[in-house]
Parts: sequence; structure tokens; C-alpha cells
Amino acid sequence: MGTSTAAQNQESPERRVGRLAARLRNHALWDSLLIFSPPLLIAIYLAVYLYRGAWIAPITFLLLSGAVIGVGLLAVVVRTRPLIPSVRFAARLVDEKTKAKDRFLTLATIDVALSPDALVGRLRREAAALLERIDFRREFPYRIKRSFYWSFLVSLIAAALFHLSMPLMGSTRRQAPAYEKLNELAEKMAQRPPLSELAHDLRTLAMQLEHPNVAEQEKQTLIHKTLEQIEKQQKKEEEKESRALLGEASSTLQGLEQQSARSQQKDTEKGDGGARSNPSQEEQGEGKQSQGGGGDSKGERNAERSKDMRQGQGARGDPKEQGKEKNQQSQGDGKDSQPDPSNKSGKDAGKELTGKTPGGSQEKLGRSRSEEIPQGAPPAERFYQPGEQGKEEVKGARYVTVQLPEELAADSKGEGTISKPSKETRAYPKAPVSNAPLPAYVPEAPTEKQQLPLEYRGIIR
Amino acid sequence: MEPEKFQQVFKRLEAEVRKVIVGHDDVIRQVLIAFFAGGHVLLEGVPGLGKTLLVKSLSHVLGVSFKRIQFTPDLMPSDIVGTEVLTEANGRREFQFKKGPIFAHVVLADEINRATPKTQSAVLEAMEEKQVTVFGESHTLASPFIVLATQNPIELEGTYPLPEAQLDRFFFKLMVVPPSPVELREILKRTTGTETGDAGKVLPDDGGKVINQMQQMLRQVLIAPPIEDYVVRIVHATQPNLSNSNGSTSPVKQYLRFGSSPRGAQAIILGAKGNALADGRIHVSYEDVARVIYPALRHRIILNFQAEAENVNTDEILAEVVKQVPRS
Repeated sequence: MGTSTAAQNQESPERRVGRLAARLRNHALWDSLLIFSPPLLIAIYLAVYLYRGAWIAPITFLLLSGAVIGVGLLAVVVRTRPLIPSVRFAARLVDEKTKAKDRFLTLATIDVALSPDALVGRLRREAAALLERIDFRREFPYRIKRSFYWSFLVSLIAAALFHLSMPLMGSTRRQAPAYEKLNELAEKMAQRPPLSELAHDLRTLAMQLEHPNVAEQEKQTLIHKTLEQIEKQQKKEEEKESRALLGEASSTLQGLEQQSARSQQKDTEKGDGGARSNPSQEEQGEGKQSQGGGGDSKGERNAERSKDMRQGQGARGDPKEQGKEKNQQSQGDGKDSQPDPSNKSGKDAGKELTGKTPGGSQEKLGRSRSEEIPQGAPPAERFYQPGEQGKEEVKGARYVTVQLPEELAADSKGEGTISKPSKETRAYPKAPVSNAPLPAYVPEAPTEKQQLPLEYRGIIR
Repeated sequence: MEPEKFQQVFKRLEAEVRKVIVGHDDVIRQVLIAFFAGGHVLLEGVPGLGKTLLVKSLSHVLGVSFKRIQFTPDLMPSDIVGTEVLTEANGRREFQFKKGPIFAHVVLADEINRATPKTQSAVLEAMEEKQVTVFGESHTLASPFIVLATQNPIELEGTYPLPEAQLDRFFFKLMVVPPSPVELREILKRTTGTETGDAGKVLPDDGGKVINQMQQMLRQVLIAPPIEDYVVRIVHATQPNLSNSNGSTSPVKQYLRFGSSPRGAQAIILGAKGNALADGRIHVSYEDVARVIYPALRHRIILNFQAEAENVNTDEILAEVVKQVPRS
């Protein structure tokens, strides 16, 4: 220590002023670092928080962290650069502290080569004598500035606000579709040979879930089956990471199972109303089924059905047979059953139907459909109007199924209204099914009022 | 010469002059600084303040020749610089140059504003070039050479104010102010009693050599570039025709017709160096500059009509300039 002080004293005053300038530069750098560190750390913490909470993807997390650090460093540089003290400034500080009357300023700034050596030497000696009076560490200590405390406080408040707003954000957060999650898990599992089979199952399940035609009941069964497989595998698995992966898959599937059960329950509750709208996939399937005959026979059938409905005599059918028919439909002759948009009879039937359906909008719909659908080649899917058939069966169709108590009684006796059999071997629905399109489905819309003929009031539940 | 010796001589000179002159410490110091800086001094003050006595005492302590010229309206240039006179020697008649009073080390131009501009201008060449030209022949003046001119701010009738060009040739303009009561008592004591203070000679009769060494020493004093920059900014700030962004201040724009010439900056630097040496330092500080800004610039900035109408003087404007120009 004593040696270093002696060495310092032997240093020329100009060099010591230079060292003070470097020290002050470090102070400026520390100031900037301290000011920007709290917000930087908070930002990184928030990024980690979001990443760990699976709010952001790993790549987003990396990019975000990189950007935060980059911006922080840039801010430090931008703030520090103008604050870096010059040698002149340092010399003036030393002059003020030692009351040297600008000796250090003169020494630090004059061109020694152009000045008389004797005078410069004398000035150095005078300055060195004055320097002995002060210790830079004592005279120019680093003190934390008030700006740091403000920065710290503001950062803390920002972090607190973030945490307070998290529940709010959680409620508005969009859930990724379940099948995407399952696909992700399947990909991860596929990388581990013991789980590859399970990965395949998960992928199949994801595809099934994604498919709109698969019934909710069926989905539930599939989920349950896969869940069982996962549990079995979980018991076998010894590796920690695989177990964690399986656990994640299991929890995802459990969530899906619950979700599926809830939606099924909802559907049942809606179905109790007698006349129900059909936003779910299952119901869409049913609707498709109702239109499901061959292209040639469809128009006729529709016409017949609408006629029956007008007459107030619903066609009767055996519910069991209906079920069978459903299964047949779901087994997938959907493509065959797609109507030809250019089919005249179909169009006519549609017109007829729309004409009879209460509400002018349906009529408009019918008209616009005949205008828009091009003749000749089948139109692209997007050109189909709600209620029309396309590749994906009936697009946006919603139906009303009406079954009267008399029909039910007749069904139980075995008297079903036998519709005109199709050329194909497909079963024909015995229960009267209307394909009259309902207004567009609006989620969470107030319960729509179905206008019914007066004679049906009190009959239909 | 060693800086210590300069300071020693300077202090002795000051002390000796103070034996005769009561008060006016700053004026004595500035006159000595101007002398060693090789400049001329314009002393302004009402009659009876000791201006002439100061100059006489100074020449005495310096051990150099002294001449006094009383400027009057009928004073001719030849009365100052000298003239060719026809002389007869050994039966031959020839013109011989008869030196005027300007040929002295210290010249007192008393009430310089009473002479005509023609006569005043005769002093110009002598002050700047340190030589005079008579009938086409140049005559070098003695070294060291200093003109100490006095002027009376009152009784301006029949006077000829010095033109700006001539004012600019004065290194300093010093204001000789009336003495304080204490100083006046001391003056009375010295002048009305039997004891009279006499200034002794500090430098020997051939003191010219020492004076030259001291003048050289003064120019070697170290000055930091930031201090030079400050002087430049100060002088620049006195220019009324520059925009505010270039350093000109609002009072300058309002009250000044002309700003300082580069001679102003030279005077400040040399004056500051003299001040530093007089204080025993070999480098100039900001305080040295601050002490000489007023005497170096007050006669170099020219007031406009508005300033005269509002009775604003140059020192007030300079104070504003000093306040507004940052040191770094």
C-alpha cells in the first residue's frame, strides 16, 4: 500500500490527472449501468417468467432476452458517452480541490514541446507538491446517484404491476388448439424410441380431434384409451424426462377429456329443448346425414321432406335405424353424397324450401345462391353458401329436427313413414328431418326464437 | 531571468510607487503590467487624482527617462516628434533633426484629448511602430517605450475625443477613481506636512536591460489552451454583428456599435501573463484573465447612441459578457 502510494507520488501530475479522468469515466459508466440495470434485470426476469409460464416460445424468449440486453447496452453507451469526462475536466477538478489556480489544467493541456523546459519543470514540481495534499480515492469517491434509486423503484413498480396484471392477461389468453399441443408432445416423444409408439397414437388422436366429423363421444373414447396407454407407459418408464413428458401428455389429455365431457353435457342440455341449433361438429354430421343421399335423389328427398313438414306430418323413422344411418354416414361416403351444385332438382328443392321457410333472409339466400354458383364445374369450397353442400359436406348448415309425439308413438308401433328408397343401398331417415337453414350461428348469442306454427305450440318440448 | 526575480522587482516597484501615490493599487499594478507587456496606457480621471504624479513616480523608480507633453489645441505634431532645424557648424549650414519629447522611455501625454486629431495622430506611429518619421527619415524610439496618456472625462468643450484607431493602440485604459476617505486622509498627511514620501529607484540608471529581460520573461509565461479559448470567446462575444448562436450576448447587440479588435485578446493574454508573474506564478489562471478583461476591453468596445442615451457604460456590458461566457 505504502509502495503504491509512493509510486503514485512519483508519477507525473499529468499522468495522475489522466488516471483521475479514467476513474471519473468509470464512475460515469457505473452510473449508467446502475441506472439501466434494474429495468434490464426486470425485463429479463419478465421474459423468463413468460417463458416458464409457456406464454412465449423458446425462440421468442431468446430473441426477447437478446433484444433487452442489446437495448440496455445501447442505452448505457448512449448515456455514458457524453458524460465521459475529459482530461481538462479532471484537471479542473483537481485544481479546484487543491486550489492550484489552474496549474493542473495548464500541465494537462499545454504543448510541452513548445514550452520552456524550465518553466514546465517548475510547474510540474509545484503541481506534484499540491497533489500530495489530496488522495483521489478520498476526494473523488464513487457515490450512488439518486437516479439509480429512482430507476430501481420504477422497475420494482413495473414488475409489481406486471404480476398484478398477469391474472387479467391469463383470462384473455388464447388457448392453443389441443391437437397442436398433442402434435408437439408427439414430436417430442418420437425423439425417444420407447415412446415412439405412443407418439404415433398421440398424432392419430390429434388428427381425430382436428377432424370435424368425428363424434364427441368417439373423441372421448379415443382420449380415454390414449390416456390409459400413457399411464401404463408412465408406470414402466424410468427415465425422468420421459416421465415428465408423459406426465405433460397425461395432463393435456385429462384436460381434453374434461373439455369434451363438458361440451357433450352442454349439447345434451341444449338437445332437451326439442328444437335445437347445432353448432357442434356432431350435429353438423347429423345435418350432413340428413342431406346425405346420392346427388340425384337429394333434391327429391328434400322436396318430400319439406312437403311433409308443410303438411304437419313429420316422416317417421325408427331411432335405431337412424343411429345406424348415422354410423353409415360417418363411415364416410360423404364424398359420394356431395351434391352437384349444378343439379337442377337440388336447386329447385332449395328454392322451394327457402320459399317455405319463415324469414325473408332465407329467400334472399336462395336467390343469391342461384346467382353466384357457377354452372358447369363444381365451385370452390369458399363459394358455397351456408346450407349448401361442398367437399366438406354441408357448409355452415344448421338444422331443426322435429319429431312429434304422434310420430314417436307410431315409431314404437313400427309404423314409420317410409320414404322413397334411394337407388343406393343407403338407409333413409325415417324421422322427418328438415334441412331448412337457420340464421348464422353466433357463439354466445341469446337464445334464438324459433317461429313455430300455432298448432305445434305446446306439443314440442 | 527567473520568475522569482521578476516578482521581486515587480513588488519593489509597486512598493516604491505606493510611497508616493496613495491608493490606486490596481492602477499602479496595471500600469506596471502594461509597461512590462510593452503596451501603452490611457488613464482617465478627473483632474487632481495623481495621474501625472503616478507617471512621474513610475519613471523615477524604473530609472528610465521621462518626458511630459501637455496637449493643447495649438500643439503641433512637430512639437511631439521633433523637427529638422537649420544649424551652422564649422561654417557649414545643415539640417539637423531635433528630437521631440516622444524620444523618452516614459512619455506622459497629459490631456491627450485636448490636441487636434492631426497632433494626436502624430503619436500613433510612435506608439505602434516605436519609431517616428520626419522629413522622410525614420527615427527609432528608445526601448523600453511607454506612452501614458491621460484624459479628463469632464470639460469636454474644445476637446477632440480620441479616434477608435488611436484608442485601440492603448494596451489598457485605466480609470483613476477619487480616493476613499482613508486614502484622502493619507494624501493630506503626506502632502500638507513636513514629511513627504519620496520614491526610491528600484532599477539602476541602465535598467533598460533588466526591463527588457522582464519583458521577455513575461511572454514566456505558460497559458493553457482552454484559457486561451476562453479569451477568444470573450472577445468574440463583444461583436454585436454576430448572431447569438456565435457567442454574442444580448446587451452587446443592444448597446454596442463595434466589438473588440484582436488587439483586445492580445492585451488580455499579455496582461494575464503579467498578472501571473506579478503573483509569482509561471502560468496563467482564469483569475488572471478576469482581472485584465476590463482594462483591456473597455476602450475597445464602442457604444452606440442608445447606450449613451441610457447612460450605459462599457464596464456594465463587459460584466454581462463575462457572466454569460462560460469558462469551459
